[in-house]
Amino acid sequence: MPKIGISRKFGLAIGTMVALAAVAVVAFIVAGSAGASPRRTAATATLNGAGSSLVAPLVATWSPVYDAATGVHVNYSSVGSGAGIAAITARTVDFGASDAPLSPDQFTACKGCVQIPWALSATVPTYNIPGVGDTRLHLSGPVLADIFLGLIKKWNDPAIKKLNPKLSLPDMSITVAHRSDGSGDTFAFTDYLSKVSGTWRTKVGNNTAVDWPVGVGGKGNAGVAAIIKSTPGCIGYISVAYVLQNHLSKARMLNAAGKYTLPGVAQIENAAQTVKKVPANNQMSIVDPPRSKKYAVAWPLSTFTYIIVPTTSAKASVLRKFIFWALTAGQSYGRKLVFAPIPKVVLVAAEKTLGKIHS
Amino acid sequence: MSASGLTAPGFHSKGMRRRRVVNFVMELLAWGAAAIAVGVLAVVVFAVARRGWSALNTDLLTKPPIPFSTAPQGLANAFAGTIVIVGIATLMALPIGILVAVYVNEFAPASIRNGVTMVLDILNGIPAIVIGIFVYGLLVVGSGQSGFKGAFALAILMLPFVARSTMEVLALVPNSLREASLGLGIPHWRTTLSIVLPQTIGGIVTGTVLAVARVAGETAPLLFTSSLVGNQTSWNPTQPLQTVPVAIFELSESPDPADHARAWAAAFILLMFILVTSLTARWLANRSRSKIAGR
Amino acid sequence: MTSVDATPEATRRPFGGRRVRFGDIGLQLIAGGAALAVTILVVLIVWKVVQGAKPAIEKYGLSFITTVAWNPVIGRELYGAGSFLFGTAVTSIFALILATPLAIGIALFLTELAPKAIRAPITALVETLAAIPSVVIGLWGILVLGPILRTTIEPWLHDVLGFIPLFGPPSEAGASVFTAGIVLTIMILPIVSSISRELFLGVPSDLKEGALALGTTRWEMVRGVMIPYSSGGIAAALILGLGRALGEAIAVTQVIGGSVSIQWNLFATGDSLASKIAASYQGATSNLEASSLIYLGVILLVFSLVANILAQWIVRRTARKHGIVRGGHA
Repeated sequence: MPKIGISRKFGLAIGTMVALAAVAVVAFIVAGSAGASPRRTAATATLNGAGSSLVAPLVATWSPVYDAATGVHVNYSSVGSGAGIAAITARTVDFGASDAPLSPDQFTACKGCVQIPWALSATVPTYNIPGVGDTRLHLSGPVLADIFLGLIKKWNDPAIKKLNPKLSLPDMSITVAHRSDGSGDTFAFTDYLSKVSGTWRTKVGNNTAVDWPVGVGGKGNAGVAAIIKSTPGCIGYISVAYVLQNHLSKARMLNAAGKYTLPGVAQIENAAQTVKKVPANNQMSIVDPPRSKKYAVAWPLSTFTYIIVPTTSAKASVLRKFIFWALTAGQSYGRKLVFAPIPKVVLVAAEKTLGKIHS
Repeated sequence: MSASGLTAPGFHSKGMRRRRVVNFVMELLAWGAAAIAVGVLAVVVFAVARRGWSALNTDLLTKPPIPFSTAPQGLANAFAGTIVIVGIATLMALPIGILVAVYVNEFAPASIRNGVTMVLDILNGIPAIVIGIFVYGLLVVGSGQSGFKGAFALAILMLPFVARSTMEVLALVPNSLREASLGLGIPHWRTTLSIVLPQTIGGIVTGTVLAVARVAGETAPLLFTSSLVGNQTSWNPTQPLQTVPVAIFELSESPDPADHARAWAAAFILLMFILVTSLTARWLANRSRSKIAGR
Repeated sequence: MTSVDATPEATRRPFGGRRVRFGDIGLQLIAGGAALAVTILVVLIVWKVVQGAKPAIEKYGLSFITTVAWNPVIGRELYGAGSFLFGTAVTSIFALILATPLAIGIALFLTELAPKAIRAPITALVETLAAIPSVVIGLWGILVLGPILRTTIEPWLHDVLGFIPLFGPPSEAGASVFTAGIVLTIMILPIVSSISRELFLGVPSDLKEGALALGTTRWEMVRGVMIPYSSGGIAAALILGLGRALGEAIAVTQVIGGSVSIQWNLFATGDSLASKIAASYQGATSNLEASSLIYLGVILLVFSLVANILAQWIVRRTARKHGIVRGGHA
């Protein structure tokens, strides 16, 4: 720390300088935003939410539309499903969002929360291989698992070449990118890998965060996208909206029906058709749809995403209206972000759960 | 003390030449070390300045962020939040810091003085992230984040700085002043408040400015106390507010080059503020001190 | 001031005749209260952090420190600090090894070699390095330093020194223990150099001139007089720098890559105590993981406190030895 032996004059001079700078910045911000933001009455309600980065683009689309329609402003922090669950459990937000359903322990800790499936999308193996363009790479579940287990280390490995006979793959090491935070994408991805690879199931397992055998960690879908984008030879898994937004390359996956598919609205809808009946806690897993002609085009890494709310809260009526809007009118905004509309049977169950929320 | 090398061989002997060469090499290395330090500073500041300057525009300060959109946007909410939170932190830390310094310098016996100074040094050495965990556990769990709680965490970081620099200026006030005042019958408390403290205002303000410069860039404690924020520009500290360092932290890990550009621009503004205030404060302090010493 | 007339007992002032005003007591109480509050704050911080870690401490005890695992998968939960302690040790020691000669070199330059005119500006510039916020250095680390290291320095080091396990295959993504080490070096350099500089300024000039008068070269004088004289203080400076490196969370978490393992390759990813807490705390999947992260914080706190108190003790001892009044420097 420097020695201060300073006269009053100079000290006040520098203090005034700092204060003036702050005032100037404040004036600038206020002047600039005065024109921009709409009139806000004292009674404007706000909903604060946090969680899944998968659903964040959709909520970002909803927010201004819903605000214009009802005057309720929805603030959303994309911090990952794990952080969303933690935030709503600690009641630091009004609602949490997670692609991963709550575990029994998390339900208990949340003290009277319900989870409502409000959107449907997918996670995608995404790569950055010099010379291999978008959708050129074909992968299967077991090969993907071996890559993420660190058993397949180079792009020109025979196992990958077998699935891509016409592709010239470089002699380049594979860098795996995964999520470092608690993530619903991780939950869906590891759910899938556990189903297609016995080694993965025993060695790693299925969870929002796992002990990754190899790879570099990134925070949020954005963080993983950044790593893939800047690292040649990299493969990771990110939700489809981010793949499109950042112009990254997605891999074609071999589904159980024997077809290579891409994550599109129709393919995700097909995967969601595996839900015949929704259980009481709304927990559904639609990864790796079974081998059947019915699911011929299904994308094997599709996932529902949930909004998690306490059954009793001060903002219950505002929340109910928002969630109802999201379940109905809001679904149409999802298509261009590759969110499929939720199936009828799920919508019925969601609305039933919605009825449980009261002030 | 080692006695090696303290003998004096003949001036032009071979041993002397070798010693001269070693000396030259060492001096060169010292010059090199200084050049590296200045070089690194120049590289970092230049990198931030170059990228930040080209991304600088009025939108940065006037428009809030719009996630997942290429529409013109900025970081107005972060700048507003930083000003509010750092301002409140200063208001929290300043009185306590001054009071502690007054107690240590004017009232405390030597043993307590050493004890409190040690406590301040310990507080200064606690990592910011541990302070974040502390404030989270104490205030945020169960009741939510807010600008006030973030300000409280920053105030804890500022406190040792403000207290120590106030202690130093108080120590510089000559005892003759105090004794003269007490001799005139002015009570101790009045002496301290009306005679001694006013002499130190310059130093206190400078110390506070330096403390502000330090915490303006703190990220870790704010992650726990004021990070679940909305995108609107808000001045309301009862809600969590976005801050410039947290915004830079989040944008730094984004895949979008436009986000990187905003991060550089915000880093540039933050860095300029911190550098200009720190350097000016130090320069004024040095100038003033040499004036006092020259007297 | 005594009055001449006899004052009756009843009106004699208490406290030995000194005038005591409420104002005096009031200010002393308020100011003393502030000092007490600060002391209580430090105790409260330690207590609250330990309390938050209690579930993990009760479950794992001291074995937490050696366990190398961080598995949040439900049904297989196992948490341990081993890999983070290793990462903290590697990055901090790396930074110390790089920063110490540089810092001492800078301090020597500023006290002995630099022309008078540039001494003040260069001193200010080096201390300015300390003022750069860690998030800005982290931003620079991710977007500028990491890619440069990955494409130039790391492959070169691997080619030249690859037989040493430290310099294994270069990182693919720019995030690595090596990048984190360089970032930490930049951050602790100013602290160590400014304390060293003040120490060197405090070496009595008669000692220095005495050596020079005997015909030593400047370097021999530094080696024989200045460094031994300041060795205690330099040790304290290093410990303070170490403490700073231990606690740095943000810049490290931005560039280190976040993996759980113990391996020697500097170019691989890793993680440190502070960096892990910053990365994972918001999204802890269970109470056990959250309290394990706080347990990491407890370990970090213990190290920082030990480093801090040790450095203070060394400074006090050295000051006593050299007869320097506490708080007085050149």
